Amino acid sequence: MGTVLQYLDQEPWRFLISFGAVVFLVLNLAAVLTMAERKVSGYIQLRYGPNRVGPRGLLQPAADVFKLFTKENVSPGRSDLWVFVAAPIAMFLPAAAVWLVIPFAPDAVIANINVGILFFIAVTSIGALGVVMAGYGSRSTFSLLGALRGAAQMISYEVPLILSLLGVVMLSGSLSFVDVVNAQGDTFWTWYVWPLLPMFLTFYVSGIAEVKRVPFDLPEGESEIVGGFMIEYSGMTWALIQAAEFASMGLMSAVTTTLFLGGWQPPLPFLDLGAFNWVWFGFKTSLIMFTFQWIRWSIPRLRMDQLMDLGWKVLVPLTLIYLVVVAAAMLILQEVF
Amino acid sequence: MPQVGQGILKGMGVTLRHLFGQKITRQYPEYKRPLPERSRGMLTVDMDRCIACLQCMRVCPDHCISITQEKRDIDGSGKAKPYAVGFVIDDSRCMYCSLCVEVCPVNCIYHTEEFEAQAYNRLELARQFGERPVDPTVDPRPAVKKKKPAKGQDGGEAPKKAPKKKEEAA
Amino acid sequence: MLGEEHRTEEHSALTEPATDRLVRPDVRDEFGLETIDMSMGPQHPAMHGLLRLILELDGETVVRCDPIMGYLHRCQEKIAENRMYPAVIPMTDRLDYFANMHNEHGYCLAVEDLLDVEIPPRADYIRVLMCELMRLASHIPSIGFLLLELGAFTPILYAFRERERIQSIFEAVTGARMMFHYIRIGGVKADLPPDIPEKIWDYVESLEKNFKPDFVDLIKGNEIFISRTRGVGKMTQEKAVEMGLTGPPLRCTGVDFDVRLDYPYSVYPELKFDVVTDTAGDVEASYRVRIGECLQSISIIKQCLEKMPEGEVMAEMGRRIRPPEGEGFGRIEAPRGEFAVHVVSDGSDTPYRVHYRDASFVNMQLLQEVVPGHYLPDIMPIMGLVDPVSGGWDK
Repeated sequence: MGTVLQYLDQEPWRFLISFGAVVFLVLNLAAVLTMAERKVSGYIQLRYGPNRVGPRGLLQPAADVFKLFTKENVSPGRSDLWVFVAAPIAMFLPAAAVWLVIPFAPDAVIANINVGILFFIAVTSIGALGVVMAGYGSRSTFSLLGALRGAAQMISYEVPLILSLLGVVMLSGSLSFVDVVNAQGDTFWTWYVWPLLPMFLTFYVSGIAEVKRVPFDLPEGESEIVGGFMIEYSGMTWALIQAAEFASMGLMSAVTTTLFLGGWQPPLPFLDLGAFNWVWFGFKTSLIMFTFQWIRWSIPRLRMDQLMDLGWKVLVPLTLIYLVVVAAAMLILQEVF
Repeated sequence: MPQVGQGILKGMGVTLRHLFGQKITRQYPEYKRPLPERSRGMLTVDMDRCIACLQCMRVCPDHCISITQEKRDIDGSGKAKPYAVGFVIDDSRCMYCSLCVEVCPVNCIYHTEEFEAQAYNRLELARQFGERPVDPTVDPRPAVKKKKPAKGQDGGEAPKKAPKKKEEAA
Repeated sequence: MLGEEHRTEEHSALTEPATDRLVRPDVRDEFGLETIDMSMGPQHPAMHGLLRLILELDGETVVRCDPIMGYLHRCQEKIAENRMYPAVIPMTDRLDYFANMHNEHGYCLAVEDLLDVEIPPRADYIRVLMCELMRLASHIPSIGFLLLELGAFTPILYAFRERERIQSIFEAVTGARMMFHYIRIGGVKADLPPDIPEKIWDYVESLEKNFKPDFVDLIKGNEIFISRTRGVGKMTQEKAVEMGLTGPPLRCTGVDFDVRLDYPYSVYPELKFDVVTDTAGDVEASYRVRIGECLQSISIIKQCLEKMPEGEVMAEMGRRIRPPEGEGFGRIEAPRGEFAVHVVSDGSDTPYRVHYRDASFVNMQLLQEVVPGHYLPDIMPIMGLVDPVSGGWDK
């Protein structure tokens, strides 16, 4: 037994097993998130969410997954079938892959690379490609509109996303997630959210835009282009797109927590749980996910030109100016101390 | 533009308050709310009182009541009186307008509080109340073609229709 | 009034529609640009019913918008020629199925005009009370639908909570939650149950408490709502009158035409209320007008409950309704605009012709006139301005 585990601990087995485990766990996370979303939306709308399947409705995702497995995967007659089927995969895998580099607890990260932030930025850009593939492959007017909107939105919101990360990189001096978490001390007033508050807000808003949630869900646009780029999907392909959307939401929350809220660090040193600090990580990530859902069910969506205005005319100048402010502050504080 | 704290954040405060507030869902079927006394549910007929006057059949706008009438001596008085030997109410057509209830002279057709009209087959929704089953697919008051006016006249006289009795404006 | 103190700038009523965003046809041909023809088809979750919009899009800008109606046509006017006068009332319930009392009221006014009959005052007050409750039950979900189409999924559920409570009151009075069949020719069907006036008082007071947080605070100052609805669907007064609009789409441009005050019927001359207008002419103005009308309805309901006289609820009409030959016309202010019924009688038991002038049908012209030049996502707020109901435009 020991030698089998030792053999499996080498590359490439270690990578394949961990990647498979991560994909499996991320799919489960997406299923749990659908349940959380429906319960939160129900409670905001003065009703209970699903509460019939299982105790308090907790087996609802299992019922949903079972139903979607048995549904027919319809594709339009004149669609480009390879692109049509590859698109959900292209949307899901990037969202799952970045979980490999996020630290959950001290010394608990699957792939400890020293360019984690760069990896995150590069891989989440592939999600935009998946959206365009979905819309183009469907060959219908509504999905074309949704795909174009999605491409424009996701590409243009990557700029403020990256610019707001630069503040974190400057303060911590490293591109690695592990170093960023370690650099934020173990008290809640040394986390990066306080000195970098505009960066945090920009990253948060750009994160919502990247995940295509309300108020930025115009590519999906339920009221006018009913489903947008995913209008022609049904059955398991649709389920995979939804899983990709929820997994990205979880990913954005996790990255926000890691970069700005201290990752697995407890708020006060005496609350340190050692190897169980992933509880703190989970708690903070769940809080951010809850705010994503709270925003979704409270406010209407932006129109396309207003969305682009917000991204280019408000968020990009804000981050650029604040970068200069942070750099100046760092220089002055270094000179003074 | 409103100030900060008045716009989106105020709206989000409203939703957060509702999140922790009381829910208004009533869990049917464990909880069935008490219906008011005037509520109009499914129809039912008290066949002991029905005198087969065919008023409800004539007034129903959807033609959902169908009655087969026979002359029979029920109460032993020696005179043959009209008797409803077949009475069907088709729930798939009834629109709960209560015109038949208002028109009945002996108050034998009335609304109950039931509203769950479910069946696996549409024909099962037709409820029979009499001895002999009536076919619900046959229209009891088929439309009669209007007579064309003779040449040279315009308008024409009042068209002949299936006989309708007076409606009591209650 | 809610509109006045929160309006931040004066809107001129004389502005051009948003056609400056359209690419000129000669420029389009020179560059070889093409437009997309799209049908926002009858199957659509946000079309207020079964409406087909044929759109010609230049990118995201709408060049042409043609509504095609008729997917819910049920031949109501033709069927009414074969039914007796009282049996037409359940059918009028199903015209504008969000405001059933008003449809019944309009038809009964038309037939009473034909018969020249006098309604007892208590019946009149009950009719107005029911109609104003129905107006509340219709305007509040209208606001909810406007926001549902903008993408906020919560206000509609708060709106339907209010509508459910009003429907419970209706169920206690009439027996049904939606298709009431209550207002009859000559009065109303039956008197109010004895505990209903108090229930209506309690409900109205609880609504006044809930109204501000759920429907005003959540929506009015929301920056996204303002940027989606201010300036969208802007109309001038002349254009609105030329199209024949009535109801909130007309009053949001500034024309204060309200059938209850200009052609008074029933007991409205004895009640005190204001006509809510706004000068902006866009979707946000229609939202403010509807909010204002809700508050006015609440005050009318309170006045009705206080002033209601005792008496009978049905006029002496005899068993048969067979009006003399002639025409009758009844017009009322439905929540969506003016609803009018024209009844022609040829002396028999059934009408010779019944014609319904429904507000949704006429207000739909707005879509063809105002939408070109706007972006595709703006169609939904403009439909929220018109707020048609498919039973109304299709009959």
